[in-house]
Amino acid sequence: MSNPVDMKFLIVDDFSTMRRIVRGLLKESGYTNAEEAEDGAVALNMLKNGKFDFVVSDINMPNMNGFELLKAIKSDDALKHLPVLMVTAEAKKEDIVLAAQTGAAGYIVKPFTKATLEEKVQKIMQKLAATA
Amino acid sequence: MKVDLPENMSMPAASPEIFQQLGTLTRQLHDTMNMLGVLPGLKNTADNLPDARSRLNYIATKTADAAEKVLNLVDTAKADQEHIASETRKLAALITADPVKAVASGAVFNFVQDVETVTHRVDGHLTDIMMAQDFHDLTGQVVAKVVRLANDLEAQLVKLLVQAAPPEQAHKVEAALTSQPAEHKLEGPVVDSEGRTDVVANQSEVDDLLASLGF
Repeated sequence: MSNPVDMKFLIVDDFSTMRRIVRGLLKESGYTNAEEAEDGAVALNMLKNGKFDFVVSDINMPNMNGFELLKAIKSDDALKHLPVLMVTAEAKKEDIVLAAQTGAAGYIVKPFTKATLEEKVQKIMQKLAATA
Repeated sequence: MKVDLPENMSMPAASPEIFQQLGTLTRQLHDTMNMLGVLPGLKNTADNLPDARSRLNYIATKTADAAEKVLNLVDTAKADQEHIASETRKLAALITADPVKAVASGAVFNFVQDVETVTHRVDGHLTDIMMAQDFHDLTGQVVAKVVRLANDLEAQLVKLLVQAAPPEQAHKVEAALTSQPAEHKLEGPVVDSEGRTDVVANQSEVDDLLASLGF
């Protein structure tokens, strides 16, 4: 794995405000390389046509929701290695379990804090480093 | 149903016959709507109105909290900015009067440290202001749910209209109704988690749940 701060993030959320917040927080943590997508369909297209290292995705989105995006990533041989961190307002236990079973690397419920995002990203980074 | 009238008005006494007729009409309307299958749908939609009310309250609370938080942070950041501006003026006066003494007394060094501390604090305030904008996403999802409820109510009322309309017009409205998209299964933000066991209330509950699953 390359230096974590060089990793390229894809932030997927239908609300531009939330994309900017996540992008801003990642930047404060030293991750300056990030792009944005407004739904799962756009994100999947970007992932197939570009090189990304980490996906931060909302769930409740139009066109293709976060679960559909997660399933698409995990069923694609070229993409399934990507860690996907779900950042969502969906607080139902069955959704959290479904995300974990589908292969999400982490799950954050909104509203969240800067510390929570930092902690989850760091934890996933450590797992990636351990398996590399 | 109880009707509240202004104090200077009184309800004219209805004759028993009119009262009886009104009762009969109401009963007929109720039975007809039930027969048409409209009332259960309308009732279901009406039952969701308190939920819509609590969602609107959630929006009001979230936006008010965010506004107050941002204004408080701006006040604090402005006070910090004013402190630095004031200290800058004092240091400028000291340097103008005696540059050597200003350095030797530690005033310049203290100022530099002060600036570093305050800018770090202001940066924190700016991050908190950014985080406070998450209300846009959360309330946006809740607004979408309330809009869906309004759409359901509209659909039920249109259905009622179809039942009452002449057949040639009813077909047009019915065709429009059947083209409605299926309801989204995702719930969005939980506006009131009290008494619910199917949702998590915070991030630590998410972490506990995932840990119990071995993640």
